[in-house]
Amino acid sequence: MLISPSDVLLLAHATFGALGCLAAVWVFVEALNARPGNAVRIRRAALGVAAFIAAAGICGGYWYLHFYPAEKPLILHGPWPLAHNFFMETKEHLFFVTALLALLLPIAAGEKLETNPAARRLVLSVAGLIAITGLALEGAGAVIDHGVKLALLQSASKGIR
Amino acid sequence: MTDSMVGSESARLSPATSGFVLAATITVLLNTAISFVEDAYAPLKVVMGSLCGHDWTTQGFIDLALFVGLGLIFRSTAVAESMDPGRLIAGLLAAVIVAGMGLALWFAFV
Repeated sequence: MLISPSDVLLLAHATFGALGCLAAVWVFVEALNARPGNAVRIRRAALGVAAFIAAAGICGGYWYLHFYPAEKPLILHGPWPLAHNFFMETKEHLFFVTALLALLLPIAAGEKLETNPAARRLVLSVAGLIAITGLALEGAGAVIDHGVKLALLQSASKGIR
Repeated sequence: MTDSMVGSESARLSPATSGFVLAATITVLLNTAISFVEDAYAPLKVVMGSLCGHDWTTQGFIDLALFVGLGLIFRSTAVAESMDPGRLIAGLLAAVIVAGMGLALWFAFV
């Protein structure tokens, strides 16, 4: 089995993204039940969200800059060009929104959520947005991957004929 | 101190939090605007690409610099602290919805 650096980066990107979404849901649930006993846990989980999303961005960004240029023409000449034209184009710009929210979350989680309803609403909003936009990015990644797969299947079937 | 006083005091966000919420709101909207202009006007994409090797990288650094820079400015000037926390949160939610829907519609139809 051959595992290339491109594969490792791409899988790490998706895994860190999924972990970031899970950590955001964790922060959301903890913030719903904010009390002095879970304040430290909320702050640590919020830092985890920032770290996971940053790691997803670094892995995905490196892959996008160094390995995606070879896959882009495959997608555009395959049966699903929208995998690039719509999904990748939207994903690469929407990622910055999720990343900004992930950087904001630990700052917001530094407030006393158990006594500050405004801060609690803020943390719930930011964590919820990270989970929603993060899952949308994960879904877009799956469609892009499927676009490459369909393009390769099409070219392979042409080769067999 | 009455309960209502405690409630009103604790319903405010700190200068740092409110400042960075406002900074994130502005940066999200500017990120969306940069994405539109860059996609519609190729010379800008070329210039951004020449700055950091790729336009996507440059956009990321611009976003990071805006978020950190504006956040520090708003924290020290207490501009955002004077704003109602509910409005700040609603503004951030609206900005993210506008960005998400706007980017999707742009790349679907333009």
